[in-house]
Amino acid sequence: MKEHIRTLLEGVLPIVDLDSDFLFAELDSLGITSILMVLSNEYGIELDSQDATPRNLKNLDSIVSMVQSKLANK
Amino acid sequence: MNRIEEYLFKDAELFPDRTAIICSGESVSYSELLARVVRRAEELRQFRNHVVPFRTSQSIDFLVEYFATHLAGAVAAPLEKDMPSERYEELSSFLSTRSIPGSEIADILFTTGTTGKPKGVMISHGAIVANGENLVESQGFSHNLAFVICGPLNHIGSLSKVYPVIMQGATLCILEGLKDMDAFFRTFELPYDRFATFLVPASIRMLLRFCSASLMKIADKLEFVETGAAPMYQSDMEELCRILPHTRLYNTYASTETGIISTFNYNAGECIASCLGTRMKNSGFRICDDSTISCFGKTMMSGYFGDDELSASVMSGNEIHTADLGRCDSRGRLHIIGRKDDLINLGGFKLSPVEIENAALSAPGIIDCICTEVPDVIAGSALKLFVVVEKGFEFSPRKLAAFLKTRLEPYKVPLKYAQVDKIERTFNGKLNRTFYKEI
Repeated sequence: MKEHIRTLLEGVLPIVDLDSDFLFAELDSLGITSILMVLSNEYGIELDSQDATPRNLKNLDSIVSMVQSKLANK
Repeated sequence: MNRIEEYLFKDAELFPDRTAIICSGESVSYSELLARVVRRAEELRQFRNHVVPFRTSQSIDFLVEYFATHLAGAVAAPLEKDMPSERYEELSSFLSTRSIPGSEIADILFTTGTTGKPKGVMISHGAIVANGENLVESQGFSHNLAFVICGPLNHIGSLSKVYPVIMQGATLCILEGLKDMDAFFRTFELPYDRFATFLVPASIRMLLRFCSASLMKIADKLEFVETGAAPMYQSDMEELCRILPHTRLYNTYASTETGIISTFNYNAGECIASCLGTRMKNSGFRICDDSTISCFGKTMMSGYFGDDELSASVMSGNEIHTADLGRCDSRGRLHIIGRKDDLINLGGFKLSPVEIENAALSAPGIIDCICTEVPDVIAGSALKLFVVVEKGFEFSPRKLAAFLKTRLEPYKVPLKYAQVDKIERTFNGKLNRTFYKEI
């Protein structure tokens, strides 16, 4: 799942370093929106502004955890 | 009053304890703000009649620097926060080697020309006050309003909202963009009854997509929302009207060069995407024979810094000829229908595809390219770069994007890339932009 999410996000965020541990700091509002939209469309999960936290978007691993958690509660 | 700082003195005298600015958990009253501005102005006295460039930040310090520069008799040139260092040095050097025409210039705001060369738009103190008066009168800024600014403070869309707030002794809430959407909504929990904000169409689209329930919760507090700077989708406008039925929703025509010209409340019975309303108090417009929009009035720029030829090409007397195409309806309302030149308007930032293409052509392996605007489900529109690479060169969009980031401001780096065998050209060898607009 991690590599699939990486590929998806690389397609919409070409200048963002997805290996960063400070991903949230690197993102702008468009980047955050892109992540929420791409993941909600790909996995059929509901993501909203409450999910766009520094903790959930700290790095690629935390994004994967957020998706897994949403899928588990679907 | 002729200068925005005179209003600051008046506010500090009339409402010394009223909160002037709130930002990142810090706040300053009008008396504290004035004290900080006066102190900093003393330090800046040595720059009297010079241009003072500084990086923009979403902070109280930024506005202190801005007002203090004016008070010291210098000209403020707020530059892009993320501008690459080399470019920052280049612009700073350009600003320091040329003299300022007259003592009435307050600001130099940079925008992009068709060739990609930055243009320093000179704004007078009088134009700042005229813009403020336009907004106070036409949108109803009042002293008990808290105005939320999320956009960059060196951009006319956000900076122009500082003026009516200060003129009315209201409160400014500054946010670091909209990336923390919860922070945006928490602002509306502050102890104010009336709020207003400025949002570019892409931000409205984002809030509608992810935060419509939160928007509904603040509907009663949100007195008005202004948008502008870029075209807005009719569907987004109608959805916002539905969610905020009692909020005044303004679509405004403005540019760095012309100032704030006209505005239209699309939540008062007629929701028309192209309509930008009637002229404001200090400004006017007319449609020329070639359908371009010409503007006039007290809000006009004073010219382009250090470029008389370029100034003369768009100005005649107090009239500025824009490259925007428009029409005027039977009720005197302006409707925008497109642009005459190749500039791309992305979220309110005007971008030259030429500048982006030149940067891309200096990247390893790229032998030809064209930059164009394409529809984007998230932002409404985005930049796409079509590239032709050297034989055997392995093209990586991410490597090219990383390269471009070292040469351009982040908002100028395309989000989408495509490798093609050739770039279409017209019969005389020019890039065929029309072809790429149509595919």
